[in-house]
Amino acid sequence: MTTIEEQLMIERRGHAASVARRRTNFVIFLGPAIVLTVLFFGVPVIIDIAVSFTDLSRSLRITEFTTEQYEKVFRTDRRLSQVIGLTFIYVFGTLAIFNVTFGLILAITTTAIRNASGSFFRGVWLLPRMSPSVLYILLWLWAVSPTEAGLVNQVLMQAFGLDAPLDLLTSAPIALIIISNGFIGASMGMIIFTAAIRSIPEHLFHAAAVDGAGTFATIRFITLPALRWPISFVTIYQTLSLLVSFEYILLLTKGGPFYDTTVYALYVYRRAFESGQYGYGAALALFLIVIGVVVALLGWRFFDMERLLQRPRIEVH
Amino acid sequence: MIHWKIAPAALVSAALIGGSAVYLSATPLLAQETVQLELWSRQDPSGPLRPGNVIKAAERLNKELAAEGSSKRVEVAVRESPAKGFDDDALQLLKVFGIGEGPDIFIAAHEWICAFQEDGFVLKLDDYIAKYPQHFGTIFPSLWSSAKCPDGTYAIPQDAEARMFFYNKKLLREAGYDTAFVDAMPQRALSGDLTMDEVLAIAKQVVDKTKAQYGVLHRPNKGPDYIMVFQAYGSDFADPETGKLLLERDKLAAAFGWFERGVKDGVIPANNTAMEFDALRKEFYTGNAAFWMYGIWDLGSVAFPTYGLPQDEKAFSADWGWIAAPAPEKGGSPVSLTHPIVYAIAADTKEPELAARLVGHASAADLNTDHAVTTTHLGIKPEQLEDPRYAKAWPLARATELLKITKFLPNNSQFGDLNGIIYAAIQGIESGRLSAQKAADFVIEEASSTLEDVIVK
Repeated sequence: MTTIEEQLMIERRGHAASVARRRTNFVIFLGPAIVLTVLFFGVPVIIDIAVSFTDLSRSLRITEFTTEQYEKVFRTDRRLSQVIGLTFIYVFGTLAIFNVTFGLILAITTTAIRNASGSFFRGVWLLPRMSPSVLYILLWLWAVSPTEAGLVNQVLMQAFGLDAPLDLLTSAPIALIIISNGFIGASMGMIIFTAAIRSIPEHLFHAAAVDGAGTFATIRFITLPALRWPISFVTIYQTLSLLVSFEYILLLTKGGPFYDTTVYALYVYRRAFESGQYGYGAALALFLIVIGVVVALLGWRFFDMERLLQRPRIEVH
Repeated sequence: MIHWKIAPAALVSAALIGGSAVYLSATPLLAQETVQLELWSRQDPSGPLRPGNVIKAAERLNKELAAEGSSKRVEVAVRESPAKGFDDDALQLLKVFGIGEGPDIFIAAHEWICAFQEDGFVLKLDDYIAKYPQHFGTIFPSLWSSAKCPDGTYAIPQDAEARMFFYNKKLLREAGYDTAFVDAMPQRALSGDLTMDEVLAIAKQVVDKTKAQYGVLHRPNKGPDYIMVFQAYGSDFADPETGKLLLERDKLAAAFGWFERGVKDGVIPANNTAMEFDALRKEFYTGNAAFWMYGIWDLGSVAFPTYGLPQDEKAFSADWGWIAAPAPEKGGSPVSLTHPIVYAIAADTKEPELAARLVGHASAADLNTDHAVTTTHLGIKPEQLEDPRYAKAWPLARATELLKITKFLPNNSQFGDLNGIIYAAIQGIESGRLSAQKAADFVIEEASSTLEDVIVK
């Protein structure tokens, strides 16, 4: 005879086993992600905050704890407003022109043509992303070289009869950093948008065609509404990535001429590593972290990312 | 029978003598202590013998130690840094010292030495300099000022050089200047008759009347030579009484004005700072630029070997020459800049005495002359002038004339940072982002907000 107590024991054991299993699953599945997040985001942020309250300078010695670095940020650094303005132009320009708009155009056009040709053009646009950054920028440096040997100047002078070679690195440096970064950034949007376009049920396009919709109407009423989530994702992801990346700018213009292409992340690098003001660099970097988190949260809210990450509803045909 | 007695005795004594000889000669070997001294040096094709001479010096020091009966022997381990320039190298080395991994001896540009001194990384050398007059006694007195910080001497000058405006005589003649005018320019510059603006005017005529594209070119990164222009216009960057950084707005604006006029006249290219070092040299040495602001060693390390400029003095002087940085106005003072590289010893080295003696041997006249004649740098001791090899290297003798009017960069630990700001301002002017006055304001604002103890006038 089994008593109620025994039954309860069995149930409790089962419950205990399922709790243990859930814990194990948690450790197995989320553990690595948590460890990585703590190691590569949590710890560096804590170190950065700690360093920003010191006078750590070129000989890596701390002699006092101070709020002097923050005073510098808010009171004495006159370059900052220009740097922040430029960063806004750079991030917004690259996103608006290339990473989203041009990525979208590439995705729509390459999915509209024959599959083989579409794949070929997508492959071509992936090349900048696949090339090593130094090699990619070396090609750019040759292309915009201010001498007659530069690719752009060869084309302009021989095909369009331009008299003197152009020096784009001096006359249009901001446009150059936007274009060189955009050529790389466009490919990510292109891939994600292409995948999304391919997942739109084909019968919708047929139905639209039957209803007499032209190409633009199909894009406007079928394709674009389906791309709402991918566009939100690419915008947020690329904003964050553009805010912190500066390697192509450093290689192409070194942040110059003067401070013309010194975006915020590069400014932090120049202060910390070229002048050896590590404490000040850490204080500046902290604002970059804060801006990054705020942009991510705003994006979450503004683009309703929560719904994007919900369990997809299966469409029944 | 006697023979029989003598023979074994002789054999035994021979064995004993031989054995003890072997023993005596083997004993010091067994007890010998090898002291490894680490030398930090930048990979620099313009001065491979800076570390090379220290390695050779170890042989001499070891002989000396053996003669003294010392059991110590010195071995030099060179640690090469890939830094692009002496500024980057010094910043790197400060970090290396900061984490306690510093070398025993290092090679640095003189203006950085007080940055090491401030953090207590470098050994004060006054006592050693006094103790070893055979090594340090004859070094030119003028060079010692480049090795001093406020409370003493912290380095040994390794070489000196002269910075100047090289010019292409052929282009000047093509532009319409006669030979007498072109050849008289160095002397006119030294006497204060040639002015900075006349250089721009000559360069403009070359650009206008010949195929040459450029008038005046200068280095495309932070460095010492363009500081000559500021010195010519009266900025020395250090307060003579306190040694603090000194910025004088009008004098800065006057020097920046020269760069501004140069760009407006189409003489200095707007993208000079965006060009590659080698590309700039190529433009000058292949006849596409009238003037090139640089230093004497460029002849030995690049002009002769790479671009085939004539090494014979007469042939060279027919088409090429150099002038000091001219006076700002007629009757003013011209300047040249010398930028000594120095040997310094770490404060925490375990063998300061041996390190000092090693650097002493590396500063020997013959070894220093090897460096001087192979890389066209100026020597550090008067006895080098008597070396026939030195006398044969005519650019050295000619450049020595400039030492009469030479200046140094200030030995201030923050000068490297200030120079970065000055360079950014030059870039601002040349690319049209700043006017001369704004550039002076920029330097003063930026230096006042990021550096300490800056005196502004």
